[in-house]
Amino acid sequence: MQKFIFKSIAMKKLFFTLILAATYLSLTFVSCKKTVVNNDPTTGKLQINFQNYVDGSPAIFDTMIYINAAGNHYLVSDVQYFISDVTLYKHGGNSTMIKGWVDYHYIDSQIPSSLVWNVYDDINIGDYDSLAFHFGISSDKNITGMFVNFPEKDMSWPDVIGGGYHYMKLNGKWLDVNNIKAGFGFHLGIGQNYDSLGNVILPFIDNSFRVSLPSSSFTISGGVTTNINIRMNFEKWFKEPNIYDLNYWGGGIMQNQGAQKVAAENGWNVFSFSK
Amino acid sequence: MKSISHKKVFLLLLIATNIFYSCKKDPPVTTIKAPTPYNFVIPKGFPTNVNIPANNPLTVEGVKLGHYLYYDDRLSGRADEGKGLSCSSCHKQINSFENGTGKGIGVMGIETDNVMLPHINLAWNPGTFAWNGGASSIEEDIYGAITLQSEFASTWEKVVAALSAVPEYPAMFEAAFGTKVISKELIAKAIGQFVRSMVSSDSKLDKVLRGEYNFTNSERNGMVLFTTESGADCFHCHGQPSNPLMTTNLFYNNAKDSSFNGIGDRYSVTGNHNDIGAYKAPTLRNVELTGPYMHDGRFKTLDEVINFYSEGLVYSEYAHPLMHKVRPPYGHGAALNPQQKADLKAFLLCLTDTSYIHNPNYAKIHL
Repeated sequence: MQKFIFKSIAMKKLFFTLILAATYLSLTFVSCKKTVVNNDPTTGKLQINFQNYVDGSPAIFDTMIYINAAGNHYLVSDVQYFISDVTLYKHGGNSTMIKGWVDYHYIDSQIPSSLVWNVYDDINIGDYDSLAFHFGISSDKNITGMFVNFPEKDMSWPDVIGGGYHYMKLNGKWLDVNNIKAGFGFHLGIGQNYDSLGNVILPFIDNSFRVSLPSSSFTISGGVTTNINIRMNFEKWFKEPNIYDLNYWGGGIMQNQGAQKVAAENGWNVFSFSK
Repeated sequence: MKSISHKKVFLLLLIATNIFYSCKKDPPVTTIKAPTPYNFVIPKGFPTNVNIPANNPLTVEGVKLGHYLYYDDRLSGRADEGKGLSCSSCHKQINSFENGTGKGIGVMGIETDNVMLPHINLAWNPGTFAWNGGASSIEEDIYGAITLQSEFASTWEKVVAALSAVPEYPAMFEAAFGTKVISKELIAKAIGQFVRSMVSSDSKLDKVLRGEYNFTNSERNGMVLFTTESGADCFHCHGQPSNPLMTTNLFYNNAKDSSFNGIGDRYSVTGNHNDIGAYKAPTLRNVELTGPYMHDGRFKTLDEVINFYSEGLVYSEYAHPLMHKVRPPYGHGAALNPQQKADLKAFLLCLTDTSYIHNPNYAKIHL
């Protein structure tokens, strides 16, 4: 009887030892597998930080301390904009577009979380020569109703003037010729031409544009998040190739295709890149 | 042998005790039925993100209780003093749950700082209630309203005591929240549930969006004026057909005044210089029913409001940048002609939802 009990205990011990060993081995196997992936990854992550600058320094909002190329004293209250179709170009011409259809990001100076975009995609490792994106949302995707929730919903561009969404709302004030602090809504989006009676001449005009950032090389390393910065330099909206005079264009330009065109041309070099 | 026999006796006693206790009837277990989830339907075109607190989900029983409380003037805790007051005393269904007369007057005869805001589609409010966004939830708003001298001028002790004395309420609280013990928190939660359940989505504009109605020419022209910068430019602050809430729920100094006392405005909440004289852009849903207008009720009619935005804007350095039509000497508003004003008004009237003001689910009810 005692012999049997002894045997039974010994078997129990053996049994539990085997179970423990099996568990340990499976855990080791799983962890090793993960480690192998981490040690030899083919992809990494990308974090894009959005910055707002004026004249080479971080923007100070709501303070009338800036002078644009036209000599207008101005302040910026807030800015909201979309970028979309972000494309990463590799040496040799291969390119990767982030997230296809839902490739857009909303940036709002009043929502700090929007200033950091942790890109969902796994990005192939390697050296990238440059980065480009669409300012606003390209016309094939810029469709009314695309955003059902706020804050993106607040960017709606009325259907009667083209629909979809604002590319950007840049709100501020300038000291006009009468020294009045006048408000401006530098709002960019789909443009319109009008006939002599004020009726819209179709089709609407896609004023969104592609931005290719110069000197925007970076490296994606395996299993690592790479940080890059995209900076909007406010003064450049008013600077080149066209000098944009707020006294001339006035406070609202959503229905002024002339102003939209000038702004779009200036927008090509509004952004800069840093690591 | 003797010891074995003791063991046996002990074992027998143990078994007997076991049998005795197992045969004893279990005490009755009180089971409280869990409240039934409320089916909150999001209308077509409305945002899918709703602001329903995780700690106060809508339930059928909670909404029903809140409905009764909303209309119960014992909510002041002072009905026995002849000073009964309920939410519905100032938030009348016929006026889209606004009072339709201007500032509210509390049980002490003291006026509220500002006019009422309507209770409508508040499930979509992002957490900035009242004209200055000073309350982060409906519940928080209710906490304050009970003790404010210009509103209920009461104490929560009195309110809880008054409602606890109503025979039907303990069972209703139990059905909604699992306890018969009435508290300040549960009163606020129940009313919060009812108010969040109040949805308006059947105006002419909604019908247009659903393809059930076509605007008249005047209404369509009004919509164009509403949604264009060269027109009346209302949409930047009040939304547009693609935002059927008809508000951004944001705060703007809309150029009503040249000087400000800082009382009750957004600045009083944020301390941000740019919020001086700024108030919430209220929803324009049922705007026809919610006059007088502006935070202080200075305009009695929609015509006065339209005239103000057409030629009455007042310059100050605090006016929001979007109010760029005020730029003396060039302009003091949208400069609409009489036909445009009529068209704009015709569109605003398309935001009236009569089914909301007659919806029996929100109608007067009492115990």
